Amino acid sequence: MKKVLLKVVALMFLSVSVWAQKKISGKVTDKNGNPVEGASVLVKGTKVGTTTDTNGNYTLTAPEGSKILIVSSVGHEQMEMAIGTGNTVSFTLNQSVGRSEDVVVVGYATQKRKEFSGSAAIVKGSAIAEKPVQSFAQGLTGQASGVNIIQPNGLLNNPPVIRVRGLSSISLSSFPLVVVDGIPISTGDVSTSAVTNNPLSDINPADIESIDILKDAASASIYGSRAAAGVLLITTKKGKSGRTTVNYDGWLGQTQAVRLPKMLNAQQYVTHKNAAIANALSVNPNFSAAPRDAFAMMNDDKGNPVDVNWQDVVYRSAISHNHNLTFSGGNDKTNFYLSAGFSDQEGFLKANTFERRSVRVNINHKLTDKIKLFTVVNYTNGINNAPNSGSYAGGAFASSGLGRIANAQAPNVPIYNANGTLNIEAGAIGRGANKISLQFVNPIPLIEQDKNRSETNRIFANLGTDIQIVDGLSFRTSYTWDLRLTDNQRFWNPVQGDGYASTGQAYNNSARSDNWNWTNILQYQKTFKDAHNLTILAGNDVQKTRTDNWGGNRDFLADPFFSQFQGTFINNTPGGNGISEISFEAYLASLSYNFKNKYYFSANVRRDGNSALSTDNRWGTFGGASVGWTLSNENFFQNSSLSNVFNNLKLKASWGKTGNGNLANYYGAYNLYDATIYGTSAGAVFYAQAGNDKLKWETSKQTNIGLELGIIKGRLNFEMNWFNKDINNMILAVPQAPSKGVPGNTILFNVGSMYNKGLDFTINMVPVQKGDFKWNTNINFTTIKNKVTALVSNNTPILGYTSSLELSSITEVGASASSIFGVQSNGVNPENGRRIFIDNQGRQVQYQHQGGADAWTLLDGTRVSSGSVTSAAKNLGNTQPTWFGGFNNTLTYKSFDLGLNITFSGGNYIYNGSRAGLLDQRVWNNSTEILGAWSPQNKNSKIPRPIYTDNISNGSAFLISDNVEKGDFLRFQNVVLGYSVPKSTLGNSAIKNVRLYLQASNLFLITGYSGVDPEISSNGNSNISSGIERNSIPQGRTLTVGVNIGF
Amino acid sequence: MSLFNLKIKGLKIFILLLPVLGLFACKKDFLDNQAELSIPESRVFETPARILAQVNGLYSSAKIGSLFGGRYQIYNDIRSGEFRNRTSNVVTGFGVYQFTNDPSDTYIEGFWINGYLTINRVNKFLADFELAKNQGIVSDQLKSQYIAEAKFVRAYCYYALVQMFAKPYTQDAGASRGLPLRLKAQTDSADNNLKSGTVAQVYAQILKDLNEAEVALPASYSTSVLNTTRAHKNTVAAFKSRVYLAMGKFPDVITEANKIVSATAPFRAATGVNHTLNADVTKVYGNGAAELENVFSAPMSATNAPGTQNQLGYYYNAGNIEYFLNQGATGIYNNPAWPASDLRKSKFVLQYSAAWHILVKYSNVSPFTDWVPLIRYSEVLLNLAEAEAEAGSLTRAEELVKAVRQRSDPSYTMPAFTTKAIAIQNILLERRIELLGEGFNAPDIQRRLQPFVSVGAGASIPYTDSRYVFPIPTSEKLTNKIVE
Repeated sequence: MKKVLLKVVALMFLSVSVWAQKKISGKVTDKNGNPVEGASVLVKGTKVGTTTDTNGNYTLTAPEGSKILIVSSVGHEQMEMAIGTGNTVSFTLNQSVGRSEDVVVVGYATQKRKEFSGSAAIVKGSAIAEKPVQSFAQGLTGQASGVNIIQPNGLLNNPPVIRVRGLSSISLSSFPLVVVDGIPISTGDVSTSAVTNNPLSDINPADIESIDILKDAASASIYGSRAAAGVLLITTKKGKSGRTTVNYDGWLGQTQAVRLPKMLNAQQYVTHKNAAIANALSVNPNFSAAPRDAFAMMNDDKGNPVDVNWQDVVYRSAISHNHNLTFSGGNDKTNFYLSAGFSDQEGFLKANTFERRSVRVNINHKLTDKIKLFTVVNYTNGINNAPNSGSYAGGAFASSGLGRIANAQAPNVPIYNANGTLNIEAGAIGRGANKISLQFVNPIPLIEQDKNRSETNRIFANLGTDIQIVDGLSFRTSYTWDLRLTDNQRFWNPVQGDGYASTGQAYNNSARSDNWNWTNILQYQKTFKDAHNLTILAGNDVQKTRTDNWGGNRDFLADPFFSQFQGTFINNTPGGNGISEISFEAYLASLSYNFKNKYYFSANVRRDGNSALSTDNRWGTFGGASVGWTLSNENFFQNSSLSNVFNNLKLKASWGKTGNGNLANYYGAYNLYDATIYGTSAGAVFYAQAGNDKLKWETSKQTNIGLELGIIKGRLNFEMNWFNKDINNMILAVPQAPSKGVPGNTILFNVGSMYNKGLDFTINMVPVQKGDFKWNTNINFTTIKNKVTALVSNNTPILGYTSSLELSSITEVGASASSIFGVQSNGVNPENGRRIFIDNQGRQVQYQHQGGADAWTLLDGTRVSSGSVTSAAKNLGNTQPTWFGGFNNTLTYKSFDLGLNITFSGGNYIYNGSRAGLLDQRVWNNSTEILGAWSPQNKNSKIPRPIYTDNISNGSAFLISDNVEKGDFLRFQNVVLGYSVPKSTLGNSAIKNVRLYLQASNLFLITGYSGVDPEISSNGNSNISSGIERNSIPQGRTLTVGVNIGF
Repeated sequence: MSLFNLKIKGLKIFILLLPVLGLFACKKDFLDNQAELSIPESRVFETPARILAQVNGLYSSAKIGSLFGGRYQIYNDIRSGEFRNRTSNVVTGFGVYQFTNDPSDTYIEGFWINGYLTINRVNKFLADFELAKNQGIVSDQLKSQYIAEAKFVRAYCYYALVQMFAKPYTQDAGASRGLPLRLKAQTDSADNNLKSGTVAQVYAQILKDLNEAEVALPASYSTSVLNTTRAHKNTVAAFKSRVYLAMGKFPDVITEANKIVSATAPFRAATGVNHTLNADVTKVYGNGAAELENVFSAPMSATNAPGTQNQLGYYYNAGNIEYFLNQGATGIYNNPAWPASDLRKSKFVLQYSAAWHILVKYSNVSPFTDWVPLIRYSEVLLNLAEAEAEAGSLTRAEELVKAVRQRSDPSYTMPAFTTKAIAIQNILLERRIELLGEGFNAPDIQRRLQPFVSVGAGASIPYTDSRYVFPIPTSEKLTNKIVE
């Protein structure tokens, strides 16, 4: 029977040669006139084709009756030309933007885009390669529909928050699975100190060919257990046959902090604080926190009044540069891609730096016609340094957080004393002429002497082979080793800040994360009778990650000479030790079939085991299916007038079930005891974790219905998807009554459910193409609604805290997860300047700071208990954007190109907690907004009468609705203007192309939000306390100049 | 047909590859990863040593910085007039100091959480110790001793919680809302709702635990460290004198204290550990066990310190001077009854600067390894003195107070205890001096229903004020709907 098939195949080729009639040749060039090598040229409707040589030339023999040639090449738009009567057909290709061509990378394989009936977004590497970022993830903002990315703030290498079609979980990670060249890699923050270290920065963005984002469950479910939050598939660049090309890309940039709050100057500060003390004394004559007129101006040794803008002390204009050198090429047997990258970036926060050195070798080799070998070796060294910014997850209230010190430090005291010594008094800055001591530390030692350093050395090594067993049947095996060594170093100086109490402190931690993955895939791919296209795939995937952490704390410096862990300290204790291990084991199969490229069907199933779940319930079955119908390939369609307008019309639908195995606790199924010591020498063991021995998979079921349209011969492509993502059996850390005394007050249970429903749209079009001018645009837009439908049996809400300290968020049934949880305020009583709260009985309760027993009263003066207000916290608004998107444009005219990325987002609220601090009436400096506070002369103010030490009226003690603001914004994310030196100028020199560009990132922002930036997340990747700004440093604006040179 | 053929062939190859694919399926333990740094529940009663380690774990749980290793004392000492706040930091008790802490205050909530966590650890230990599989590992006698120690820890926690979060027993003989009385091991999601018992019910449970513990505890241990860091018979008697004092049950205070206080000076315990005052008051504090005076202490070491913002020396001493002594009229510091001749003033107060006169009873040396005194013999003498003044002999009361005072200031002439009023006044004054910074200020005010004359709030707060005791935390009310 095999013979029969071979005959059919032979006949097909024979028939081609018999009817071969016309030889066609030509040249393929890009818009700059450079030859395009390796472009595929195909006679439309046949399998006849070839690729271009190093000079862009091709020759092929077209069968009789051939009408059209199709040319495609990576990085360019596909182009069709009529053959006509001549023998020469040449092409000038346009660079493609935003949207990749024909291939979608799906799990364990690739698929032609037109055959794909799921929902995926594709971002080309070129869209991010030139951006002044540390990790590729930061460059994805606004690039793909359904994908929302928030950069928490301007701290370098702070992991962005990525949500694919909304929040995917409450307790488990909602960060998508990231797969680099086939291997799932870890995400998060691997630093253990105030510096952030995003492991995704270990991938040099310049090495990325494309990023495919699988959004619907049918596409993602091949990753079963891991895919509930979507999948990011990173494909790195590979060499192409032909002449070896050498490319250099480099940029130089400058970054500045933007949107800093305007603070009181020294005189304003003194006047304001003294007035607040006077107010306090008028309320309570026994007021003792500060004497009358406690604040005073002082002069420096030159007789000028001291007036320090601490923002200038903490922030700077930062310089960054980045270089990449790549070599790629190959012959018909071997292709290679070699790259070396160096990035040296400064943050606008002083002493914040990022440095990466990386090399990558990607080699593909054809051992025989049937056996291909491929290997990837990537070595990266990344070094992150930062002072304590207070802007990493969990750091919002760090007393050494420079984001807050820059604003709150008193402006009327000097940095240095007249004799040149540092102005300090015990653990804080010196009081100067003030009568009372100050609270915040002098930031200079934190910037100059403290060290928070996180260095990663990482190797990804992959070896695999692809064996063609018989025609159409292949076996692929691939083993990847991902070894990460992270060295975290921390030193706190003994002079000021966190190291003051322990007179100098050092903490080092070393993490060794050994992650290996082995996949084996058997694939059968065949087209029968020119109509039935079939792909069957079966395989397995095993992965194990073991992370060993060890380290120590050292404090009480023996001599202030030392500033390293290795110095001499009096006291040494263990710290940062841990061992964790997680294993995954999966068996998978998929099938996809289409008939004449009209009807598509695909299905996959995966059986998955996860060691972090209970023994009884650790195996789960996941899967999905999709169908598609390309109407535009139907005869009736092609014969109708519709075909004049639509060149592509496709309907598609998919359904799938995925799991979320991203448990933070790998041992949540067990009751565990921890060991400690009691006093000096006695060993001690105590109950430390209440486990759940029934813990099972959290699952997500998603339905996707989509439409694709191609209009005006591909000038306009439109795609729309409706999705409904139902998340069930959510693993929740179910809050237990604290009086039960369960360790951590939580136990993991599969209890909750929620959904994300929405629409995402993508339009790719060429609005103008006239002569040398071309405008490509991509518009993507997503609407999304998140709603929690079930939590614990009695619907106990889940509370979220900012940096574990401030109750800030609530996740409750019937509302969007992670809503702001605070007390409703009804403004300020114009009669007396007191904040009015709405208490738990709906009454208006006014607060008088220093009012003693009359602090909390109804408007008629009746006393009420403080609890009636503080227990009146309620949902003050959703924090997840309900709409967001991007508007990406590329305009080219002759040698010039202009890129314009605009991102927008909204429908959410942000808790501007930083404002609570900016209006705090303790010794802290205030923003100039305080100048409009209530006074007998200004009774209609929204800011209460300032009373010294008042930390309640403006939101420092508990959240108040006055600091809740809308988060809508539109940002000029990126503008780049490029100029390519014409080919004619370069002549026959070794240089093949040169492009120069100017780029501005975060050029400007349109928003009504008054905090530093509406794109903010003081709590990092947290699912249950998002949308909070608390003492964060702002975002930066970066201007870069860059060059690309090809040899 | 050809399709069929290929499928068969593919299948053959697939079968050939099965050993590869099945490699991990055969290895059943591939997904069985056990925690390597925690001990599974099934093995914690495995050996006598580990059972003893569990007992130590209960004490250890109670003595962490956010409970009895610092925060308990601090919260009780910064509420009235003895101290002034320097840093305005809500992390270090500024809310408590100002009486502005509300039910959502996470620090007060932390105290509640850790108190009950220790209680549940006791409950779980008691429950698991009775399981059939855990019998016979230690002797019955040792088992009943360990159970007694666990009950002592539970009583100690309940006493602190009821004092902080419920109205004083003396206000209405304990009729007001007390605490949820958790006595059952909690390991799953059941039992979130539990109504608070009355204050009287909580005190009844405390006394029940203490009475049961007293019977089964040893008279003493083998070393002075053990005598100070683990409960023995005299520890319980000493603590009961405090509990009965809080209840205003003076005859019971006398009964309990007399178990360890001789009839006349020099006062000492006749049985068990022979507790007595240390001749030199400056030797009572520091790193180690001043065994005979320190009835019960929370031991600390460099590898087992209370943690930065919990440490007493960090709050009061030059660690960070979070609070300094109030030089105003409401503070004990400038009270004429506390002259400079007193060692407790000349040695325990440092004039750090004109404004900051600080308490240096606890060392400022980092790491803060001073043992935290939880029960001292001088407290027992003062408990007994007060009970004698109220319900017994004024003469003995005077002798007891004198013993405490004259140890530190032999030159001081105390007014003669001619009336009950004079006696009480002087006893309370002596407590403020002797126990300054040891967590007695608030409970002493509360049990006598006196107002807090607060510097932080700038007000006098009577016992009728809702701020007089801490509110039950929000997180409890949200998860335990009937706690009240």
